[in-house]
Amino acid sequence: MNLLKRLSRVRWLSSLVFLIILFTVTGIINPTFFSYENIISAFNSSVVFTLLAAGIAFVIMTGEIDVSIGATMGLSAAIAGTIAQRGGSIAEMLLYAAVLGIAVGIINGVGVAIIKVPSLIFTLGIMGIVRGLVYVYSGGRTVENFAGDFTNLGSKTIFGDITIYYSIVVVVIIAGHLILTRTRSGKNFIAVGDNIGGATLIGIPVVWTKVLAYILSGIFAAVAGVAFASKYGQVNIVAGSGYEMSAIAACVLGGVSLSGGLGSLLGAGIGAVIMSTIGRLLVFIGLSSDFDNTIKGIMLITIVVTDALMHTRSVEKARRARLAARASSHNDVKVDSADEK
Amino acid sequence: MGKSETNEKLLCIEKIYKSFGSNLVLRGIDLELKAGEVLALIGGNGAGKSTLMKIIMGIYQSDKGSIYVNSKQLHLSNASAALAAGIYMVPQEPMLFPNMTVEENITMGFKGKQSELKKKIVELMQSIGWELDLERSASSLSIAEQTLVEIIRGLLREAKILILDEPTSALTFDEVASFFKVVKDLKDKGIGIIYITHRLSEVFEIATHVSIMCDGIITLDGQVEDFNREMLIKGLMPSNCEQKEKAETELKTIDYKNLKPVFELKDYSGYGFNNISFGVYPGEILGLAGVVGAGRTELVRTIFGRDKTLSGKVLLEGKDITGLKTSAMLKAGINLVPEDRHNHGLFKISAVSENITASMLDRKDMGRFTLNRKKERQLTSKYVEDFRIKVTDNGQLAGSLSGGNQQKVVIGKSLSTLPKLVILDEPTRGIDAAARMDVYRIINELKSKGVAVLLISSDLEEIVELADRSIAVFNGRINREFTKKEITMDNLTAASFGLYKDQEAI
Amino acid sequence: MKNKFLQKTKDIVTKWEFVLVMIIAAEFIIFGAADFEKFMRPASIFSSINNYISICIISLFVTFVMITGGIDIQASSIVGLTSIVIGVLWSDAGLNIWMAVLLAIITAGLAGALSGFLVAYCNVQPMVVTLGGSFLFSGIALLVSGLSATPAYQGINGFPGKNEAGEFIAFRALGKYKLFDVIPIQIVIYVALIILCYWLLHKSKYGRKVFLVGVNRKAAEYSGVNSRWIIMSTYILTGIGAAIAGVLLTANVDSAKYNLGSTFTLSIITAVVLGGTLSTGGKGSIIGTALAALAIVILRYGLPLCFGVSTQNLDLPIGIMLVLVVSARELASNPRTSSYIRKLFRKEHSIE
Repeated sequence: MNLLKRLSRVRWLSSLVFLIILFTVTGIINPTFFSYENIISAFNSSVVFTLLAAGIAFVIMTGEIDVSIGATMGLSAAIAGTIAQRGGSIAEMLLYAAVLGIAVGIINGVGVAIIKVPSLIFTLGIMGIVRGLVYVYSGGRTVENFAGDFTNLGSKTIFGDITIYYSIVVVVIIAGHLILTRTRSGKNFIAVGDNIGGATLIGIPVVWTKVLAYILSGIFAAVAGVAFASKYGQVNIVAGSGYEMSAIAACVLGGVSLSGGLGSLLGAGIGAVIMSTIGRLLVFIGLSSDFDNTIKGIMLITIVVTDALMHTRSVEKARRARLAARASSHNDVKVDSADEK
Repeated sequence: MGKSETNEKLLCIEKIYKSFGSNLVLRGIDLELKAGEVLALIGGNGAGKSTLMKIIMGIYQSDKGSIYVNSKQLHLSNASAALAAGIYMVPQEPMLFPNMTVEENITMGFKGKQSELKKKIVELMQSIGWELDLERSASSLSIAEQTLVEIIRGLLREAKILILDEPTSALTFDEVASFFKVVKDLKDKGIGIIYITHRLSEVFEIATHVSIMCDGIITLDGQVEDFNREMLIKGLMPSNCEQKEKAETELKTIDYKNLKPVFELKDYSGYGFNNISFGVYPGEILGLAGVVGAGRTELVRTIFGRDKTLSGKVLLEGKDITGLKTSAMLKAGINLVPEDRHNHGLFKISAVSENITASMLDRKDMGRFTLNRKKERQLTSKYVEDFRIKVTDNGQLAGSLSGGNQQKVVIGKSLSTLPKLVILDEPTRGIDAAARMDVYRIINELKSKGVAVLLISSDLEEIVELADRSIAVFNGRINREFTKKEITMDNLTAASFGLYKDQEAI
Repeated sequence: MKNKFLQKTKDIVTKWEFVLVMIIAAEFIIFGAADFEKFMRPASIFSSINNYISICIISLFVTFVMITGGIDIQASSIVGLTSIVIGVLWSDAGLNIWMAVLLAIITAGLAGALSGFLVAYCNVQPMVVTLGGSFLFSGIALLVSGLSATPAYQGINGFPGKNEAGEFIAFRALGKYKLFDVIPIQIVIYVALIILCYWLLHKSKYGRKVFLVGVNRKAAEYSGVNSRWIIMSTYILTGIGAAIAGVLLTANVDSAKYNLGSTFTLSIITAVVLGGTLSTGGKGSIIGTALAALAIVILRYGLPLCFGVSTQNLDLPIGIMLVLVVSARELASNPRTSSYIRKLFRKEHSIE
């Protein structure tokens, strides 16, 4: 019972259960879904979203938002694409991606944490700028015709049928998850989002934590861009637009609270799998994939509303308990009993 | 017991000044704390205690003055500097991370191995005798438990100087008892403690030294043994801080025989107060005394429809108006000048005129759909002139006015609905003497017009001067009612610090 | 004495609008100098209007939302929803076109009401609710288009009507009619909406309440304002505004499509913020939003025309504009940062 109670507090577990239910229901309606390939590919195909969601999860945990990640991903994908055209190595692409991610992250971090522009507005502006840079960089043309086996990399597998990409992503997510939950500086992200006043009071570097969150978000998005280029074999100028919204939705589905202070990378990763497989599941169920956005919207709204109502209730409960404690204490006092205890 | 063996000064504060804008909050504070001392810091609301503590914690920076820890001068520019110097504050409202477990909350921001820290925490709790499940999430803790977590946090940091800001305000009696044991333990271990409290009985129970703060200066300090209750009460009275000219108060008592109360509460209970019953008569100023946290503000908030009524009745002119929405309360004829001017009263980036008409927008004479600007101008001019609000013009932003003028704007807003009962919650907090006199004049005018006034104030002098009758609230209940003759500083102070009954008993 | 002060305050209040006018003037000068003939050709000006009229209209209404301290990123998905509802109701359900329009506007209002309710009554962050809304309503739009015999990507067309003389009448007139044969109907409607919104926000009791809620929600509640309803109503208004944009767009291109307007979000938010509306609420003006929208529209219109900038690359200048404006304004207004800057200066002085 105690264990069960404790487990119920682990938010990513409930997302995992939700994912399993989704798979099970799909499998019951259409048993052909229950094949090894289908399930493996559900995970393999979520690489891009998983990276995006994991990156933005850092930002959301601190209580902010970053809508520039789709554009960052697009720019990084375009850069990776041109490197691939001339047969450059993955290492080179990742290097450029890291530089790009850090640069965008620092700008976002400075704007939000230091200049204190509301994060949605600021990152919205940066999104426009980076999106424009994609165009400038690619000259408005689709980047394609990659040399070598860059596009085949995505389908190469290790550990049975799990792609190299997804294995790397899983390793990164688990490592990130452990850093966030086990290390001191990792916990700062949650602490800042949980209670910024309390964090300041015990000496946590609030501004730096936020900037770091944006840098991580930028890097993850840029690396997702490399994966994107490899996966699709071409990068057009609108690559990744709208992905930020899906990544945010993935985080919410994975139990990352948008008011900050709650969530985990594992959750974001699971949410990303849900987001990227909904369309596929619908097909198996026999619904048109046209239901994709509707279902996502309903899931998203249901989850955040439930979350918000629970939050409001707990805050209200705490406030009332505090007031009640004040009003009742010292009133029915038996003075003698004080020394006994 | 109070005298410490060593002469080492843990903390020494010299001539600290701090002002916010034009408002001078601290005016040269000197404090000393030695190892093993418990310094009780008492004083009314707005005396500057929390500002001082925030300066010691490095959250605010002082304008002038110096702070020495272990005889070394420190520049506390942020909280981590203060923490590194061995200072830890348990804030009045615990600042925990609600989504984390107790253990995470305690170890947050700590260097060192998790397993060792946990061992230390367990040992600490055993030595104190507290039991707390480390795996519980902080949001499930009671306020008392949260305070305990905060204290353990401070102990784990091996803080040499512990600041406790009204730590017992949310504790039950048993918890207070065990808490005092902890404080005594800490004292014996040589930790210096600054203990902020409103409860004078606590001062004698655990403090070794006492300092009284009033209007930004220390008015009285020394060893606890040198004082008794009466002396402390005297020291807390504002007249001791500053030799203010006491306005002539003629003892013109109201003849209550033929009067019916315009407003009545019957066994009224809500969150933060219980079984409150009283009436306010037309043309009467009823003073409501009590310290912050006694339930005064919660009471009037609830009357005004901002919180849930638990039981009891509110009557206005005999009509039951219990539990109505705020807009309906306004319509019925009640208006409130809230305690928290900045958060609940003022529209800072709106014009003065927009502020004054804010609570009467639903009235027909303000226009059906289009706002009646002419009426708005007239009304604003009327209040600006009547209340002597200093503005460049009626379109000036309310936030750019001085505190006193802001308060007059808020009062104007509340009177614009022509209420039968006006509730004024701390109407003169943080405003200068001239504005204060203007506010008093406004209140007396209301009285002469036959409006019922409920005046809440922690400035007891204010109640002495204005009120026709007074009640005191302590821990959410009415402690005592005073007739005009009985309203004296002594009586009110004793009653609002919960001591009046005791005196009678003794 | 009073007049002088009144004048002074007015100057300050109109200052930002003045900056916007200067920006617009500068755009005219630069684009005019670059290629006067192309830039000033009425035909191309008016023909480009359809691309932007939705942004202009919706931003007027989003101003209300942002003054209450909220944000609405779902409006652009409601444009498509409106369009496809009109199309399906008219062509597949066989309703009268005006009935279809009315029902579509009601649908849009309900969509806004749903999000508004969740924001105001359930305390969910407006950003998240409207994000969910943008998924939901664009999804529903796609589903609605699935009800039609016409494939979704094609769009439903053939709306009434054209008379024998080749003049646009009835529904199509909403997209094609020209007042005095020059001014497109969209502009007439837009101007009417500006006047309406101006009255609503700056002259009516409702508008005053919107401001009060945005300046200080708690204080507004203490003053008896029903802040929840006020907040919810602004989302309904925005839904209706998006519906109007959707109707005009559909009538103009003679095509009802589920994804009309899906790319407007950035421009809409930029127009409102650039127009001087505080993203934290409490401050903003219809004139400011209208001018800012105009500045953006001219930029989007002029850059491709006079400098050959690709129409696909107009996010860059707009993004730069947005970032610069909000950063500068935040730095100027934030007491912490401005005192920090002052402190930096003071430190330098003390070193000297």
